[in-house]
Amino acid sequence: MIATPEISWIAIAPDLILALGAAFVLLIDVQWKPSRRVLGIVVAVALVLAGGATLVQKLIAEDALLARDPFRLISFSGMVIVDGFAVFARFALLVVTALGVLAGWRFIEDLGRRGAEALALILLATTGFSLMVGSNNLVLVFLGLEVGSIALYVLAGMARERPESDEAAVKYFLLGSFASAFFIYGVALTYAGTGFLTILDIRAFFNRFIVTDPIVIYIGVGLMIAGLAFKVSAAPFHSWAPDVYQGAPAGLVGYMAAVAKIAGFVTITRILLTAFGGFDVAWVQAVAGIAALSMLLGATLALVQGDVRRMLAYSGVAHAGFIMTGLVAGTTRGVLFYLAAYAVQLVGAFAVVAAVGGSDAARSSIDDYRGLARTSPGLAGSFAVLLLGMAGLPLTSGFIAKFGVFSQAWSAGFEWLVVVAVLASVIAFAFYLRIIVVMYMDEAQDRRLAVGSAIRWVIGVAVVATIVWGVLPGSLLDLASNALAL
Amino acid sequence: MLTALIVLPIIGSIAVMLVPARRRELHLPLGIALSMLPLAMAGYLFWIFEPAAGQQLVTLVPWYEPWGINWYLGVDGISLPMVMLTTFLVPIALGASTSITTRTKEFVVYTLFLEAGMIGVFLSLDLFLFFVFFEAILVPMYFIIGIWGGERRIYAAMKFFIYTAVGSALMLAGIIALAVSHNQQFGFPSFALGDLAQVALSPGAERWLFAAFALAFAIKVPLFPLHTWLPDAHVEAPTAGSILLAGVLLKLGTYGLLRFNLTLFPNASVDAVPIMATLAVIGILYGAAVAVVQPDLKKLVAYSSVSHLGFIVLGTFALTSGSLQGAVIQNLNHGLTTGALFLLVGMIYERRHTKKIEDFGGLQKVMPIYAGFFLFMTFASIGLPGLNGFVGEFLVLVGSYATLPVFTILAAGGVILAAVYLLWAYERVFTGVPDRSENKILSDLSGREIALLAPIAAAVLVIGLFPGLLLDKIAPSTELVLDNIESVTAYRVPDPGRLIDVFVAGEIGR
Repeated sequence: MIATPEISWIAIAPDLILALGAAFVLLIDVQWKPSRRVLGIVVAVALVLAGGATLVQKLIAEDALLARDPFRLISFSGMVIVDGFAVFARFALLVVTALGVLAGWRFIEDLGRRGAEALALILLATTGFSLMVGSNNLVLVFLGLEVGSIALYVLAGMARERPESDEAAVKYFLLGSFASAFFIYGVALTYAGTGFLTILDIRAFFNRFIVTDPIVIYIGVGLMIAGLAFKVSAAPFHSWAPDVYQGAPAGLVGYMAAVAKIAGFVTITRILLTAFGGFDVAWVQAVAGIAALSMLLGATLALVQGDVRRMLAYSGVAHAGFIMTGLVAGTTRGVLFYLAAYAVQLVGAFAVVAAVGGSDAARSSIDDYRGLARTSPGLAGSFAVLLLGMAGLPLTSGFIAKFGVFSQAWSAGFEWLVVVAVLASVIAFAFYLRIIVVMYMDEAQDRRLAVGSAIRWVIGVAVVATIVWGVLPGSLLDLASNALAL
Repeated sequence: MLTALIVLPIIGSIAVMLVPARRRELHLPLGIALSMLPLAMAGYLFWIFEPAAGQQLVTLVPWYEPWGINWYLGVDGISLPMVMLTTFLVPIALGASTSITTRTKEFVVYTLFLEAGMIGVFLSLDLFLFFVFFEAILVPMYFIIGIWGGERRIYAAMKFFIYTAVGSALMLAGIIALAVSHNQQFGFPSFALGDLAQVALSPGAERWLFAAFALAFAIKVPLFPLHTWLPDAHVEAPTAGSILLAGVLLKLGTYGLLRFNLTLFPNASVDAVPIMATLAVIGILYGAAVAVVQPDLKKLVAYSSVSHLGFIVLGTFALTSGSLQGAVIQNLNHGLTTGALFLLVGMIYERRHTKKIEDFGGLQKVMPIYAGFFLFMTFASIGLPGLNGFVGEFLVLVGSYATLPVFTILAAGGVILAAVYLLWAYERVFTGVPDRSENKILSDLSGREIALLAPIAAAVLVIGLFPGLLLDKIAPSTELVLDNIESVTAYRVPDPGRLIDVFVAGEIGR
């Protein structure tokens, strides 16, 4: 590995901008007590600048690939990597963050003086996850993971007047720390087994040596998978998700879930495919098992939920399983497309939940959606499109995503997993349809919903993305196909 | 041309969407007027269609090249009748929906979307595209049953959706498997029907794939024992829903078996003949027997569908010229007659708000025109010579006898039972003296209702008297299916099987 003593600013520019943005939000809040709108503009500027920096990274990465000089992608003595994979994930994170801030804007305004805290925490969480997707070192992965996760724990408890929110925060924090401990222990054991912490070095190690007694490495990989599976709420590490999704502020849940899923899956993919791709295929079986369990358990448990947010939480468990189905094939394209498509749908769906249930969504029981098609046809129609997209109906991005991961898994020889997956998606149809039934086929209530324009935008973007990516899959699939990991 | 046929209804539904919701009196007439355009186009399609084998008017536009999926459409003698049927029934179904007074706009929009999807299914030559349409039509139909249906509409809609989704999910796995094999064997991805038919499969794999596709289609048909969703869906659906469900959606199953199973898996199809024929005959007899004892008119017609579709499946898997032509034309016939019967049941339900046979009696005296149409459609459904049902059933039975004599003899029992349940129902509803006061004051058909029924009756008569018009266009395509099977498998169509074609076209058809 070539050590680069000078600091490569561009490699960390997006993370730096986001972190500075978070600090700036807090500072000007203390100093000038500006209106929420000003803070919003600061956040928007930070996100746009970070996006611009990511764009520059993308150009550099493409340039380096053309010049066949992959070492230019690595900086900070091999700690940070800027490949197409990281760039794609970072773009997804930034877009989801922007949508998440808009979706949660009503809630942030209602927080009053504490609104700045929420905004700073959101930027910090994105900083952590952005660092995580671009890190080439297991310890740096852990740092990013913790920065992001701890910000999310606090966000979950932002609506502290409500006991559910407190419960969500405490539960998320306790179980989350436990999972982080799993992960770091896995890192330690991997280091013990291979002598390396850098992902590319671990790959080189396996290319050079055949490990005769790999038990330590097995345990290490298993613990890392378990820790990250917790973050993406894959079964059997999902038990926190329903309570957190239900208790945390609705406008922000979509954001929280989506960024954690993007960062978690991108890191799992990088660790498993890049670092351990040449090691042993035993982990593939473990991942396939987790995938099958997540899909079946998530879809089945979602059937019996009476609360839309809990239902979306369990559907998230099922989706984690579907994404892992793509992972066993050993390619990144399907996973990336699925992540992007699902993350946008998730933020959009929770924006609807926030619109229906009020800013902290006290009302998210399925009864609150009764006859929504009569009172707010636009909202109900959008929610229906998003739900059908999650269910994977053709002409939505969900179908293309599922089709992509299923066909990859089938080519990789995991026929049984594909059959489980298609059956799980049928079960999943049932609960998505239940919400649609309630919205379209039940009598209306006398309740007018005032939907803020910010939320309208989020929902609109999510619906358009769901349909456009479904009808013209090339618009996103080409990007995902080119976003290769080093 | 074919693209326009799919896009026209979509444009129509968008046009209806743009009409403001308060002008509710406009939605239905506008929808009917717009659905005339695809009908006119289908008529033109029939006119320019050459009676030759192979796909015509092929459109191929790449959709997403790295996956090898294409906007790949074509029409042949098997899909042509189905497209005509679809475009023909949609205006009628809309015209029969004046009783829908709530949310009319949405209703018209969903119906037109449904039409686009159905036409798309029949025209697709790319399996990916086919699957997209096949699944997409579930949503509008689900809404039509679930919003405007009867008492237990939500249960029925859910059951309909889940049943179909299970089948199509496994078919999706099958499509993926085929496409992956194709990619491995030929080195490029493709979902085109012609390409996938070239894939070499091990006998075991071919059987599994056959089963996956057959399950999806058998649920749609529905083949015994997968038929349990049908009576619920039919009874709860509004009249227009029933017409389109029986008229077109069920045909997706029989069409799929003929188009995909026979073409993609010829070996497995030949092996599966006994199983499919057994299920078909059980369906024929079971459906008919259950129909005899139904107290509810709509359920009676629904079970008669199960029985009639059994004939189509039997004809498909008897694998002779006559039986295949019979299956294709019977697809069309059943759509017309059963659609008309559901329409008739809907009309009486609008007047009396009951579908129970025992609530009626002596209607002939009160509503002579209605009774006349009902009797006419009953005869068509039973298969009276000179009407369309006869052509189809006769071809299926004569064609099937060559290869499956025992099954055919049993199936003929279904024809007799059909006469029993339909004529008995007619007797109970229409003959005698109207003894109930509600029945005495019923008004006969209005001009609108006659205008809905008359075109169907005319079509029934034309097909019955001049089947050659259609058979000439169907035959080359069904022959091609048989040629394909003969070229791949050891199966040989027995001599009479091929001769019947000549015999029918020459003697009875003209």
